[in-house]
Amino acid sequence: MGNTVAVIMRRAPYGSVYSAEGFRSIMGIGVFEMDISVVFIDDGVYVLAQGQDPAALDMKPLGDGFPMLEDFGVSKFYVHDQSLTERGLAPEDLVMDVEMLDSADVASLLENSGIVLPF
Amino acid sequence: MLYMVNKSPLMFSNLATLLRVAPHSSPILLYEDGVYAAAQGTAAEDLVQQALSSHPVYALQADLDARGVKTLVDGIRVIDYDGFVELVEHDHVVPWL
Repeated sequence: MGNTVAVIMRRAPYGSVYSAEGFRSIMGIGVFEMDISVVFIDDGVYVLAQGQDPAALDMKPLGDGFPMLEDFGVSKFYVHDQSLTERGLAPEDLVMDVEMLDSADVASLLENSGIVLPF
Repeated sequence: MLYMVNKSPLMFSNLATLLRVAPHSSPILLYEDGVYAAAQGTAAEDLVQQALSSHPVYALQADLDARGVKTLVDGIRVIDYDGFVELVEHDHVVPWL
């Protein structure tokens, strides 16, 4: 539990800087070879939605970066099932394969993490 | 007046509280994270249907594209930046931040 980190991604991409900063932090934590889990919940599930094209906003697609985090030692990605369903999305609508968690699973993951970082 | 919403309907109550206040038939523009309200099949769809029942509801194309929102609730009018300018020229703006 001591060195395990849980990153909570709760915000939609583009509307605020939270999810982009979350991405940068996750990459950094991965580089330092810490045990990291990333949980996408509430509007955070939108970060992984397929088909993002923010070219007109002069930004880069944020979702496309997450599958590459495996190269930085980050491989534990979780999505809250209810958050996804409430947004009319299914696991097939996401940019990568993730493990689905129910609310109790999310609570358990957070309870067992030494550090919780919110984005 | 043109009522403008830029917050997600599933995280914030901006669209819901706006509907209590906006007079019948006044236009509503969804932009930034507000465009998630335009997506079909979300838990906020009843709210959007309520909006559509008494208002023209517009959603900004660039913000829909950025977020990958493709399947929209019937009746949502998609506009580009030029359409946005036309709306703003036509009506005074009430940003419901």
